[in-house]
Amino acid sequence: MAREINKYDKSREWFKRAVEVIPSGVYGHLGPAEGCFIPVDAFPLFSERAQGAYFWDVDGNRFIDYMCAYGPNVLGYGDPDVDNAAIEQLKKANCTTSPSYKMVELAELLVDTVHSADWAFFAKNGGDVTTLAIMTARAATHRKKIVFTKGFYHGVAPWTQKIDYPGVLPEDVANNIYIPWNDADAFEKVIAENEGEIAAFISTPYMHGNFVDNVLPAEGYWKRIRELCDKHGIVLICDDVRCGFRLDLAGSDHYFGFEADLICFCKAIANGWNMSALCGKEHLKSVVSGITYTGSYWLSAAPFAAAIATINKLKAIDGPKMFKEKGTLLAEGLKAAAANNGFDLIVSGEPALFYLRIANDDSLMLHQEWVAECVKRGVFFTNHHNHFINAALTEEDIAETIEVAEEAFKVVKRNHPELQ
Amino acid sequence: MTDAKTLAYINMYAVLGTLENLCELDPKASALLTNKKPISIAFDVKGGPVATITFKNGKCRMVDSILPDADIKIPFSSPEKFNGLIDGTVTPIPTKGFTKIPFLLKDFKKLTDLLSSYMRAEPEKLEDEEFFRISTSLMFYTICVAVAQIGNNDEIGKFSASHMVDGDIMISIADGPAATVRVRNHRLVTIKKAPENPRAVMEFSSIRLARDLFDGKVNAVACIGDGSIRMRGMISMVDNLNRILDRVGLYLA
Repeated sequence: MAREINKYDKSREWFKRAVEVIPSGVYGHLGPAEGCFIPVDAFPLFSERAQGAYFWDVDGNRFIDYMCAYGPNVLGYGDPDVDNAAIEQLKKANCTTSPSYKMVELAELLVDTVHSADWAFFAKNGGDVTTLAIMTARAATHRKKIVFTKGFYHGVAPWTQKIDYPGVLPEDVANNIYIPWNDADAFEKVIAENEGEIAAFISTPYMHGNFVDNVLPAEGYWKRIRELCDKHGIVLICDDVRCGFRLDLAGSDHYFGFEADLICFCKAIANGWNMSALCGKEHLKSVVSGITYTGSYWLSAAPFAAAIATINKLKAIDGPKMFKEKGTLLAEGLKAAAANNGFDLIVSGEPALFYLRIANDDSLMLHQEWVAECVKRGVFFTNHHNHFINAALTEEDIAETIEVAEEAFKVVKRNHPELQ
Repeated sequence: MTDAKTLAYINMYAVLGTLENLCELDPKASALLTNKKPISIAFDVKGGPVATITFKNGKCRMVDSILPDADIKIPFSSPEKFNGLIDGTVTPIPTKGFTKIPFLLKDFKKLTDLLSSYMRAEPEKLEDEEFFRISTSLMFYTICVAVAQIGNNDEIGKFSASHMVDGDIMISIADGPAATVRVRNHRLVTIKKAPENPRAVMEFSSIRLARDLFDGKVNAVACIGDGSIRMRGMISMVDNLNRILDRVGLYLA
């Protein structure tokens, strides 16, 4: 029996109110433009509640959520162990004049857990700590230039944006150098061209850009990057904001067999409680100490308590192993459902953060149609971004997802007789 | 944040090039050319764009080269001088076709004045439905062609184009005109009709909405949210196209 198609009347009503008082209604990655809601009427715009692997929108539609708030939901929405830890801390204190000792406990836990961490510095968003990482590299080396790999995303601070973005000055990005992903030769070349000027190499542990299949590091790539950084005094920054705690609790640099000088965490660190962390090697600790960098809410205690509970629970359940298994099970099921209906579904990246693309056309239009049909039936995928596995996702959820995917493939197939 | 050379390319192909569409859309324009001998004008900008516009049988066509048999040839020593022609501060001096100067001074001027009346329309004129339709359609073509010029010449526009994959982008108005921005090796060409197989699509739901966008009364991101702008396909192409579109206003303001 065909599944019921979602209706979004209340979402639309809220959106009409939103655009009156909020720029673009919902801005950023959770909004319909940047979130690539194609077509927009297939997607919910506002949520009512969330639990485990699901969220419910304001129209009462339930979604198996493979975006996990774009990463923070790692154990399941409203995980009782995490939320209780945060709530208990809230009863004692949260945002106070003297920071809570929870800050120290969390730093100790991170130093014990993360392979390349000799210290930890806390902030709120991923961009806070990628920016601190760049400032640290510049302060340590007294150099200006930063090397990025194409397809990067390191936040929204002006230095992370591009020269053609509104509000960004040429001066903001004047010291950025862009090289292809997985190309250590290109790195060596720009080092030679900018001798003594490069402060840092910043990259995610693998290429998880949008609109393209995600690409894992080539054999020996990270080893060579590390060697080049060591040889030329360049700070190696691993932006683990997206992958952190999903691939390896010791850090994604550890997972891929190298050691970063600085590693940035956010998203999964506290299961949705707002905080981020920069961890790093001993030789950069005093440099960070000398940088003026702080924020009103950065040392709030409840997120620290949540992070401690999250990391301990991820250790207890071996989260990364679970995510890999669940992601693989899902990927195999989706690929089979696609093949049953004559579609070539490419699943790329790590299973814990899988990226999907239907390869039957080069425009992503078929893929967008299929994703829309899935969302209309209660499985929240996106058509442009990698997805996320969380610990609350059950095998039953995966089976239901594959059923929905199969139905969605049949709809797209029916709508495109030219593909027969 | 703009440069004279890019502006010259825009003035040539996006502004003067829209005379083609003016003659198709407004009978007053084609009437100026009907029952007259065909005539062609070559514009040769040193260090900038070149083009020949031919007026024939009530129609106008532009090619991006100097036709050797052009009736009138007007050289410009720099992009700045050519831009001066468009903003009315430079008087053109032909090196060929002195006997055709009356066409330049009368019919051609009437055509460009008519184009200006649509491009910089007075608010009360826009209340007339047909004027509004023609004015907005002409703006649409001008903007679409300007996109390619900025993507190929402006330093920041070239950066945006460098992130675009090959393929055709369709820009269209549901009850109005359509155009193709064709990307090949990060060079852009605008074709004033819809592509057969677009790789990316940006559709405006109505000509009214398109006008409001051109006039800066509504925001494209908000319009995507309410469904009045629909996009699909290779969104990275649309994304970079929009970054170039942001710069069109800088040049055409």
